[in-house]
Amino acid sequence: MKGKKWMAYLISFLPLISIVWAPSSSWAGKAPYKIGVNLELTGPWAEVTKTVKRAMVMEMERINAMGGVDGHPLELVIEDNGFDLVRAAANMTKFARDKEIIVVVGPFEDNLQATTRAIAEREEITNIIICPSNPMLRALKQRWSWNIAHNDIVVSQKLVDLCSARGYRKVLVFHAAHPLAQSLAEYFKQFGEEKGIKVIVSKETHKPTDIDMTPQLIKLKPIMEREKVDAFYACTSGPPGPIVCKNMRTLGIKIPIIATHAFGFHFIIDLGGEAMEGVEFGAGKTVVPYQLDENDPLRPIVIDFDKRMMTHYRTGADQISGLAHDTVWLLSDALRRCRAKVTRVNLRDALENTKGFKGCMGIYTYSPTDHDGLTKSDLVFIRIEGGKFKRIKFPGYE
Amino acid sequence: MTPWAHIPQLAFSGITMGAIYALVGLGFVTIARASQIINFAQGEFVMLGGMITFFLLKGVGLPYPLAALLAVLLVVIIGFLVHIMVVYPLRKASVPILLIATLGASIFISNTTALVFGTLPKALPAFWGNQPLQIRGIFVTPQSLFVLGATFLLLISLYLLSHRTVTGKAMEASSTDPLGADLSGISRNLMAFLAFGVSAGMGAIAGIFITPIFYTSYHAGTLVGLKGFIAAVLGGWGKNSGAILGGLVLGTVESLSVAFIPSGYKDAVAFVILLLILNFRPKGILGSPFIDSRRW
Repeated sequence: MKGKKWMAYLISFLPLISIVWAPSSSWAGKAPYKIGVNLELTGPWAEVTKTVKRAMVMEMERINAMGGVDGHPLELVIEDNGFDLVRAAANMTKFARDKEIIVVVGPFEDNLQATTRAIAEREEITNIIICPSNPMLRALKQRWSWNIAHNDIVVSQKLVDLCSARGYRKVLVFHAAHPLAQSLAEYFKQFGEEKGIKVIVSKETHKPTDIDMTPQLIKLKPIMEREKVDAFYACTSGPPGPIVCKNMRTLGIKIPIIATHAFGFHFIIDLGGEAMEGVEFGAGKTVVPYQLDENDPLRPIVIDFDKRMMTHYRTGADQISGLAHDTVWLLSDALRRCRAKVTRVNLRDALENTKGFKGCMGIYTYSPTDHDGLTKSDLVFIRIEGGKFKRIKFPGYE
Repeated sequence: MTPWAHIPQLAFSGITMGAIYALVGLGFVTIARASQIINFAQGEFVMLGGMITFFLLKGVGLPYPLAALLAVLLVVIIGFLVHIMVVYPLRKASVPILLIATLGASIFISNTTALVFGTLPKALPAFWGNQPLQIRGIFVTPQSLFVLGATFLLLISLYLLSHRTVTGKAMEASSTDPLGADLSGISRNLMAFLAFGVSAGMGAIAGIFITPIFYTSYHAGTLVGLKGFIAAVLGGWGKNSGAILGGLVLGTVESLSVAFIPSGYKDAVAFVILLLILNFRPKGILGSPFIDSRRW
């Protein structure tokens, strides 16, 4: 009787066992390249990091279906750091000590990045950061960490172009009190003044957690009227963006608003509603996949990616998923190029030799001294119109 | 331009914020008056009000008034559940233990919300009209007038509840004199149960009214709850009128402070005011029924 029960168990488990075994058997024994992913899958960024994870998994599966990298499949080892510094550092150390893992992607949040970058430097493992880079960290010129996103310099240059094209002569900057926004404001002032634009950086700031910016704007309103500024630069990211726009219109301030690339997400329009109409900014090409030029080399990549996201997850591409897409493809490209032997050092050198790699956020070129791959030509001008992102073009400025 | 020129507009914006703090503070006070419990899940009721309305409006596609009404009902049920599952089993425990239990409930609610509705912030459309009205140079949104109106109406209905109905009086009695209440045949557990419902409902109404002005997300309840608690303590812990006054003082001072000091210190102002008032007048502006005034 007992024996029969055993058999029944075994038979019922057999299909399960074969399912588990199937993928590895089809790879003819070539060891997978393991990529550690250290993300804030729980906590305030959960929804954003979910997009990153989805896009990375989708692209990994696609690369593997196409035969992997020289026959080696890619494998993502995903760990949640729960928006917690200690766990992020622990994940990073764990990945670094695991000899099979050749590169770590993430985390997202500024101070978590700072820690993992330091660990990456010590343990000599490549650390790829998806979120916009922190200028202070970038200044350290770390050899093992990489920025995928457009940095503050590039975004500021693009925005100065927007002002020149629109003929704005005076711009008031209202920035958030965190390093990235501060640096965006400073670069905007520097590049703007080179082009003869008068840039007033407001002494009033706001915190990323502020839910009402009315008091600050009441104080800024007379300055805007007295100085007759042509545009107002909402130099911020996340929910404060739409809040600033709403509060501005509530106070009856009608001057044009320009903004950062962080406004290029649909939830921003949902939050701001009508107040977002007419806001202009420069953002990555995945914001407007179908409005790119016919001869744009990135257009087929972006549209293809957007369609795949649509069929897999029923949401189109955005800037975050675009960056995740580019991370996976950049890595597979670099892995392919370190043919001799894939080691952590070889991978880093191969990444540093990336020249003119076409992703969907732009054309990446890295070098040993430059770990920011993108330039201002990888951004497009966007205007919010009718609750949608509309690409705008200016002759001479693209 | 002198700072004084901004005062009227800043004051109005402060009063709007103050009314919001007051609404949240009222929720704290309602439960405290019935059971002496400080319910730290109060902020979550506010968040849930906005969140559930958003879901019913955008996800299910109900008309706005129906979605709002249903959301209030659902949050009231959640309030009852918090009492049944968290507070009632601990009815014999001391007040600090209950306080920690409600804190646990608050974390549970906010994380469940993140799981169910996602972590992206959400905003509701304004009830009526987006265009600001200009009154003597002050810009006013219709929505902030709604918030002020709601605060006023809720205060009146709370007053009627606690002074004109037997249930309301019984609720208050069970906190001010537990033994007396027991002897008069009042079920104190039932009163605490009802108080959780009333306060959850008020929190939900506050959430629905303020979400069109700001936005809501799964962790929005914490800060709103904290400010509401400060308002209630500031005005006089345990008094409805105290919560309203405390909220208005807090909101106005916070807003006006921006005219004179850099806005980065705005949040600190609330706490400085609280410390000052509690140092010189520990029972709050209007005095607290829970603090024996002879001792001060």
